[in-house]
Amino acid sequence: MNLKNIFLSLLFIATSLTLTAGDTINGAGATFPYPVYSAWAFNYYRATGVKLNYQSIGSGGGVRQIKNRTVDFGASDAPVKPAELKAGNFLQFPAIIGGVVPVVNVKGLKAGQLKLTGEALADIFLGEIKKWNDPRIEAINRGLTLPDSEITVVHRSDGSGTTAIFSTYLSVCSGDWSRKVGKGKSVNWPVGIGGKGNEGVANYVKRVNNSIGYVEFAYAKQSKMTYVKLKNKSGRFVEPSFEAFKDAAAGAKWNPDTGYYLWLVDAPGDGSWPIAGASFILLGKEKPGVNRRVVKFFEWAFKNGDATAEKLIYVPLPKLLKSSIQDYWKKNGID
Amino acid sequence: MSKQNLTDYKDTLFRVITFGAAMVVLVVIVGIFVSLVEQSLPAIRKFGFFHFITTPIWDPVHEVFGAASSLYGTIVTTVLAMAIAIPVSIGIAIFMTELCPNFLKGAMGTAIELLAAIPSIIYGMWGLFTLAPIMGNTVEPFLQHTIGKIPYLGSLFSGTPLGIDILTASTVLSIMIIPFMASIARDTFMLTPQVLRESAYGIGATRWEVIRNVVLPYSKGGVFGGMVIAMGRALGETMAVAFVLGNKHQIAHSLLDASATITVTLANEFTEADSNMYMASLFYLALILFVMSFLTLAAAKFILKERSAP
Amino acid sequence: MNILTKRKIQNKMALSLSVLAAAIGLFWLFFILWDIFRHGMSFITMDLFTKDPMPPGFKGGGLRNAFVGQMLITLVAMVIGIPFGILGGTFLSEYGRHSRLGRFISTLSDIMVSVPSIVIGTFVYAIMVRPIGHFNGWAGGVALAIIMIPVVIRTTEDMMSLVPWSLREAAFALGAPYYKVITQVVYRGAATGIFTGILLSIARVAGETAPLLFTSFNNSFFTTNLNESTPSLTVTIFQYAMGPYDDWHGMAWAAALVITVAILLVTVAGRLLIKWRYRN
Repeated sequence: MNLKNIFLSLLFIATSLTLTAGDTINGAGATFPYPVYSAWAFNYYRATGVKLNYQSIGSGGGVRQIKNRTVDFGASDAPVKPAELKAGNFLQFPAIIGGVVPVVNVKGLKAGQLKLTGEALADIFLGEIKKWNDPRIEAINRGLTLPDSEITVVHRSDGSGTTAIFSTYLSVCSGDWSRKVGKGKSVNWPVGIGGKGNEGVANYVKRVNNSIGYVEFAYAKQSKMTYVKLKNKSGRFVEPSFEAFKDAAAGAKWNPDTGYYLWLVDAPGDGSWPIAGASFILLGKEKPGVNRRVVKFFEWAFKNGDATAEKLIYVPLPKLLKSSIQDYWKKNGID
Repeated sequence: MSKQNLTDYKDTLFRVITFGAAMVVLVVIVGIFVSLVEQSLPAIRKFGFFHFITTPIWDPVHEVFGAASSLYGTIVTTVLAMAIAIPVSIGIAIFMTELCPNFLKGAMGTAIELLAAIPSIIYGMWGLFTLAPIMGNTVEPFLQHTIGKIPYLGSLFSGTPLGIDILTASTVLSIMIIPFMASIARDTFMLTPQVLRESAYGIGATRWEVIRNVVLPYSKGGVFGGMVIAMGRALGETMAVAFVLGNKHQIAHSLLDASATITVTLANEFTEADSNMYMASLFYLALILFVMSFLTLAAAKFILKERSAP
Repeated sequence: MNILTKRKIQNKMALSLSVLAAAIGLFWLFFILWDIFRHGMSFITMDLFTKDPMPPGFKGGGLRNAFVGQMLITLVAMVIGIPFGILGGTFLSEYGRHSRLGRFISTLSDIMVSVPSIVIGTFVYAIMVRPIGHFNGWAGGVALAIIMIPVVIRTTEDMMSLVPWSLREAAFALGAPYYKVITQVVYRGAATGIFTGILLSIARVAGETAPLLFTSFNNSFFTTNLNESTPSLTVTIFQYAMGPYDDWHGMAWAAALVITVAILLVTVAGRLLIKWRYRN
């Protein structure tokens, strides 16, 4: 019979395809470092022939999937607390540092023109400041004409480390924010619409007039968005830049015993960008074989990936931190 | 074994195999139900049923979950999409059965079927890139300046027109279900016996009167059943709305507000839920959606069967 | 105004409205198709089919991985869905045609055709992703197969019931057992119809996105190993269209164009086949 033959051949093709063994490393999580991880993975594949498939599904997802061990490594911009590391039997280390920047889409505004303080930013995201020409915004921006139009807030719809960094910053700056909303990978947003991933937020801000959102700087840069200047801890308005992120990370005290648990928001220093953060990698402690392959990739990236990272305006980890992480790997039986 | 026995054996074997294959449907349906209940048990225990569906809070930080906002989004977008799609699809069906010149009938039928075959993700993407700007820049400001001025009704169109909102999502959804409803309505209209039509024309009725007084009453059961099936589809549609609804857990009062449906919540948050309660609550949402659409479709089947029974 | 004019005016109005409705329907179809062509055409290049994606910020690249992954997942769905569908449909139209259970399953299949596909995704995640421990292409294929089975069951049942009962009786009279009657007489008579049903069911599942999101997931590399996350065109479109980069948008349009054209061709082929079969 004809149909039977077709089925048999289909079956044959399907089974023969599975014979090809895969050596892909699978990772998922934070969208914040996606541009740099995928660039590294691309170069790593060229150099070694090993594929690393990184899917940006959000930091919440990264933690979830490594908890279920459905991926080889998870990535999160919000460091997992030491107690939870223990509970999940995780290893954790930072891999890259970057900055979160507020981006706006207001006709006539150019990148770096609008200045905001942490309090004003919190009020906008709380829905207390409703219009762009609100006196609280105009007071900071003398000489700048702002439209009499309603602000549309764009935030993340998924569990996100970018949100964790951003909401931690707002909680530091505004008592109202910390009381009413708080900090976390996904919070109960008072106003606005939600985009999926850094990608989704960037896309919505670009498409909706008079909107404001927050994304990792590489997204703002690559899709040519209008970022704003922020007032930092020493009272200066700084523009987001490689140097400003580097300054923010400079004073950080990293501790391997807590799985490098650390936030980089509202860091001291004249040139520091106030919303910086590291992106963390999570491994399942009980899988040394898998971990060795993951770690090999990051070892390679620490050695060869700095230039790529800098091109995308991420800050590579300082040398000292890199060697501390390598010790941390060894201490936990991966080398 | 004698030849007769072998034949009997083969016949029984074939019968059992086909029986097994048919039972797959039952097994899968029961399996979906059981596994969704099992996975959502922690949330069912913690939030109960009435409490869960009436709580409008979806707060992953404090692990307080309620389905009200997603349910609301699901129901509002579906109802609105139906309101747009029903008149249009009945109009199309009338055109195709009563008015359309014969040479166009085939082409028209193909066109409607093609519209139904376009994958939903294409509708969603098109909705985001093409329809949303049109809605946000032209249609919605226009609605605000006209209907928006009417007291009470106007509040449905308050807020900033973004194009990423309930109205756009419902429009995309309606475009998706129009071909489906239109072809069911057309098929039922065609079942009207020619004799009935001709006798009505015979006593001098106009075309519209024949349609209104003969065709529509004759086929109302079938058309109604078809609408309910379409509604079942609209309830469970994901991709067409995921792009343009804005993913916001809120009970929106304006059609120009963002919202979230059960399907969109699942698509966005399923791979990302980081606590067990979060995950269980998402499974609970999936369970509610499954039961809702199952009951809707079963009701539609029942209506259609009642009608076809002598 | 006399009653006759009023009736005539009413008639004209109602009919014009229905013409308008038809025009609206056609308008959407052409609007959407034209838009996909307009945006997608310029991104259809050889590279799209022969190269794998580049990371954001790098120029060039294609979607070879997604095309191949999509085909593999659909193939798995076919290998599972078609036999189960045809055999199940056979039971409903032959052995079980007068039984209550048969009618119940038939109704259930009709309902299952419209069960939200995202719910099927969550179900397969619970039975095939969580226990196995990672996303895999097989799970995506199974999810699509679950959507495909009821479609094939119902068309097979309908097409086999259309084969005249007298044909079966003629075969019985020659002493043929039932299974032989089914495989050699009824299947022959219903072959074109069943084949069309299969074509349409493929067109239906090939465009599904929601059930793949948590099953086959996505992969930025080329892979033929279904034990790992497998890329698909539809999930890639979702990711790219939601992304902020212009070249991603372009590729999403191109992928949309390819998948739409493929599905529409299959649909048209199915329609023509049915027409041709039942004219002769």
